[in-house]
Amino acid sequence: MSENGMFGSAHREPAKKAKNSADRTQLQTVLIRFSRHRPAMISLVLLALIALFAFVGPFFWTWDHTVYREIPSNQPPSGAHPLGTSAAGHDVLGQLMRGAQQTLKVAFTVSLLSTAVGALWGATAGYYGGRVDALMMRIVDIFLIVPLLVAAAAIAGNSGAGASWAAIALIISIFSWATIARVVRGVVLSLREQEFVEAARASGASAPWIIIRHLLPNAAGPIIVAATLLVAVAILAEAGMSFLGLGIQLPDISLGQMIGAARTAVSTRPWLFYPPGVLLVLICLTINFIGDGLRDALDPRQTRVRR
Amino acid sequence: MFKRRKTLALAAAAASAVLVASGCSGDGGGGGEGGPKEVTWVINSLPGAWQATSLAGGSVYVVQMLSGVLPYTGQWQPDATYEYDMDVLAEEPTLVNDDPDEGPFEWSITLADDAVWSDGEPMTGEDLRVSWMLGTSPEEGYCADCDPRASTSFDKVDNVQVDGKTATFQLKEGLADPEWMGLFDAHSQAGGFLPAHLAEENGWDVDDPDELGEYYAWLHAERPDWSGGPFIITEGDLENEVVKEPNPNYFGEAPALDKVTMLFNTDEGTFVNAFVNGEIDGANPADYSEDVITQVQDLPNAELTIAEGATWEHVDLNLKNEQLQDVELRRAIFTAIDRDDIANRNFGGGYPDYELKNNHVFAADSPYYVDHFEGESQGTGDLDEARSILEEAGYEGFESGETLSLDGDEIGPFRLRSTDSTVRNTSVQLIQAQLAEIGITANIEMTDDLGGMLAASEYDIVQYGWSGSPYFTGNADQFWHSESGSNYGGYSNEEVDDLAQQSVNAPDLDTAADLSNQAMEILVPDAYVLPIMAEPNYFFANTDRLVNVQDNLQSSYRATYNIGEWDVAS
Amino acid sequence: MLVYTMRRVLGAIPVLILASVLTFVMIDVSGDPLADVRMAQPPPSEEVLQQAEARLYLDRSMPERYWLWMTGIGGNGDIGLLQGEFGPSTQGPQYDIGTAIAERLWTTLRLVGAAMVFALGLAIVTGVISALRQYSKLDYTLTFIGFLALALPTFWFAGIMQAAGVKFNQLVGDQVFATIGDGRFRAQGEPLWDQFLNAFAHMALPTIVLMLISFASWSRYQRTSMLEVMNSDYVRLARAKGLRNHTVIRRHALRTALIPLTTVVAIGVAGVIDGAILTEVVFQWRGLGDFFITAVDNNDSFALMGWLLLSGVMVILANLVADLLYAVLDPRIRYE
Repeated sequence: MSENGMFGSAHREPAKKAKNSADRTQLQTVLIRFSRHRPAMISLVLLALIALFAFVGPFFWTWDHTVYREIPSNQPPSGAHPLGTSAAGHDVLGQLMRGAQQTLKVAFTVSLLSTAVGALWGATAGYYGGRVDALMMRIVDIFLIVPLLVAAAAIAGNSGAGASWAAIALIISIFSWATIARVVRGVVLSLREQEFVEAARASGASAPWIIIRHLLPNAAGPIIVAATLLVAVAILAEAGMSFLGLGIQLPDISLGQMIGAARTAVSTRPWLFYPPGVLLVLICLTINFIGDGLRDALDPRQTRVRR
Repeated sequence: MFKRRKTLALAAAAASAVLVASGCSGDGGGGGEGGPKEVTWVINSLPGAWQATSLAGGSVYVVQMLSGVLPYTGQWQPDATYEYDMDVLAEEPTLVNDDPDEGPFEWSITLADDAVWSDGEPMTGEDLRVSWMLGTSPEEGYCADCDPRASTSFDKVDNVQVDGKTATFQLKEGLADPEWMGLFDAHSQAGGFLPAHLAEENGWDVDDPDELGEYYAWLHAERPDWSGGPFIITEGDLENEVVKEPNPNYFGEAPALDKVTMLFNTDEGTFVNAFVNGEIDGANPADYSEDVITQVQDLPNAELTIAEGATWEHVDLNLKNEQLQDVELRRAIFTAIDRDDIANRNFGGGYPDYELKNNHVFAADSPYYVDHFEGESQGTGDLDEARSILEEAGYEGFESGETLSLDGDEIGPFRLRSTDSTVRNTSVQLIQAQLAEIGITANIEMTDDLGGMLAASEYDIVQYGWSGSPYFTGNADQFWHSESGSNYGGYSNEEVDDLAQQSVNAPDLDTAADLSNQAMEILVPDAYVLPIMAEPNYFFANTDRLVNVQDNLQSSYRATYNIGEWDVAS
Repeated sequence: MLVYTMRRVLGAIPVLILASVLTFVMIDVSGDPLADVRMAQPPPSEEVLQQAEARLYLDRSMPERYWLWMTGIGGNGDIGLLQGEFGPSTQGPQYDIGTAIAERLWTTLRLVGAAMVFALGLAIVTGVISALRQYSKLDYTLTFIGFLALALPTFWFAGIMQAAGVKFNQLVGDQVFATIGDGRFRAQGEPLWDQFLNAFAHMALPTIVLMLISFASWSRYQRTSMLEVMNSDYVRLARAKGLRNHTVIRRHALRTALIPLTTVVAIGVAGVIDGAILTEVVFQWRGLGDFFITAVDNNDSFALMGWLLLSGVMVILANLVADLLYAVLDPRIRYE
């Protein structure tokens, strides 16, 4: 092991040993580290509550996200409608639950899908290098070039049914995995020159093994940063698409769409403006803090010894 | 207008250091004693071209941008009366012959002696003749490669005789035009009439179709540095704004303002901030927005009026769907739809005085208005009535929660479509809920390609808008004639076809109106189109500064229709 | 490295072609550009419509049109990328796509340039501070601000900034900030200082909005990589050798820690044209973002292709620059 590699081997050596001999201890260490990260723990609890509200809430609430003729128009919050009603006759609380649900579904699907694809793609390209790298990265380039909004516009224009949450999640994923792939490849490019990779190769480990077992875990820091940022990015991308009329379409609803529709209602009908906005910002915030805590927990190099 | 007093300025670098700059230059204030009178007005979208005749330029935004620049022969006033522009005209146009059986339909227009273009060149009958040729479809052979958006009434003209300030128009054999006075008025294809002499100045021969085509292209591509109205455009582009100053050679009463900036702004969400900040003095937005209306109404220095606009929403059924060919089913569907609920939830908040639309062609303030839905159950939301219509016609399963069927075959599910605007979203959701109560499933599918969807008849039930205008004679023909390209749902009724055709060729507006009303009387029981209401349009202006500004919902010019009379309060 | 660069540039050509095919097909299936015109009241004559179809080459098949767009062979001389023509626009014969793109590129660069410079500077400074004072109150505060910025929807935040700008103006009783437009026709011919103030008034708010979005994510990347470097052996070694903390950070740590950021920034700069779309709409700037929206609204396929080409070239260049910078900054990476 080199003495002056970019990432010190002193930390990695014991950690790797621990991983190989007793995975449970490793996991426990991570959990303990994470639970010590207070903002992350608070965020996790908050996010769980929001998810509960979004996914379980609808079972306990009278109104869903659609229009009802018996709901009066434009009512400020009251006992019957705790968050008021819209002009059309929606119960805003019912909308908020459904909106949060769709937003969470979109965001997590995007993050998981594009991180999985992007990380594997980027690591493979970086590991092999040469022609494979060149070809794989040119494909990445294609997806970096074609703008998300063109695809969104094409699909939204063609069928209302195409603008379901799954379709939106897929569109955003198709155009965000490439970014992850580039970041991961960048990290792997410097990792692959390191001794522990060469050692693994020398001991006869296969390429997929090296990529999954050695390269990706060592790139976990940047991958997790990118993946958490991506959750927020996906939520905001969906919101932006909704603002331009290219997101999830009525009668279905997302938080982004609620904010977009209520953009002018700040001072006139604040009950339409604040709840979805605050909830959306809250989701993004908690996710970022959780990502922060996860990274600290997963990556021993992050824990800096105070001097 | 953009008011900047320049006693305070912010240094850019840190975005925090406040520096005191010395000096006060002249353009601050505006409206103060002796200062220049400047106004900034919003145009709600980007104009597509510099003239309004072409397909690309054919929008109300181009017309509004050209307000005070194009001369026109007359205009409908806010109170729905017609006024000739007697600054431009020497006398009211005269109808020489209105009976096609006696000879060609003929009229003449004489321009005022002192009417001149901004370069001093007199306005003559030749301007009208060239404007007519510029407005015709290329197959007429006057203007090659021209793409006029609405050449119908221009193509009816057979020949134009010019004698100095007078032009005499004769229609083709057997044709009549009840809207003859509108060929060069504010509501015409171009929004007025265009100069002839500039073609010659640029070396084009107007009687050569190719060269006239080049002139046409030039007019649409170049910022006009000419004018025939109170203002002349001095600066600007098609993307940000145009600036107008008084036309020194204007022959009517000189405008009171020294400068009008017309700012193109596509985002209504910015209006209130920009207005409060003094960046704009007012606007006549294209779309209804309850929040903007409520906010502006609360501002102390704003005047806001709101009334029925030109666009009216309606629900159409597609008769190409076999199930919907049964008129009883159609009547039941329209009866279950509660128009008042839809209108109230959409517009009740900002415009409680809304009225339902009971005449497809005429607004309630029109002298030709007849209520075609009096005593009609369609549009009432009367579910019991809808169910009894269905029961009589042999349908089953018309209670809420059931599935409507006829002889065991399920009715629907229907594709309920519209474009994704707030109003239409609300509306289709309500319709969906209302139809569910008589056992009909309607699946909402939004589109952003309304024209394509309609042309391909890819809907069962659709809501969209048509726009009305004081000129109406072609409406029935376009909407309901069995061979019209805009009769998307495939309605076909010989009597209606006949009446619609007669309306286009009627000798005068009264006759045409009567024919149109007769067509609607047949149409309504057939339950093909259900008008809901006209979308309200609003207008606001800064009352601390502006005087003599009001909306004109009869005209595409909207509030800019009398821009020459606008003034700044002192 | 020259050979490498050449190879990358050549390799970019098939990428651009594939991307353009993909986009062309997507736009082409998304709707009929003349649909709105057909719905006009009264409708245009049949001849006019046919003429418009011919002008836009809608009378040809999709593959033919793509070929035309690329080569211009068999066209009317207004099309063919290889001949330097972008093709006809659905926004009328008077609308020249090439000119529009050039003009709007300048508008966008003006807006984005300032935002990027501020964002980068701020991101590096806060990222480094956060890393050096990890888990301090300052770190938490900066982290929170960063996360908050990452959590705000652009158009929502832009609206808040506009309202705040108006409030500020009312407080000081002067029009320091403007909320719409770039003010290009204001202050013309006035003294330089006034022109500057005018430009500043119109630029300040959208710049802040654009800046904050990029700043937040960049500063997170900077903090992460700085932390990694500070814990690495060679930084420890440098300290152990007795070098001053300040020197270690500046000479050794910062330089290495900037490497990951270069990739992110290079890609980000190319993406800001994309990112400026919402900002340009809310602040009513007629830049490339607005150009894109207008083209989508008008089903203007050749305009969108022109836009794609420009943004594609920028992305490819940015990526190439990122890779080359990587090699320059990190001696362990070599392109043979």
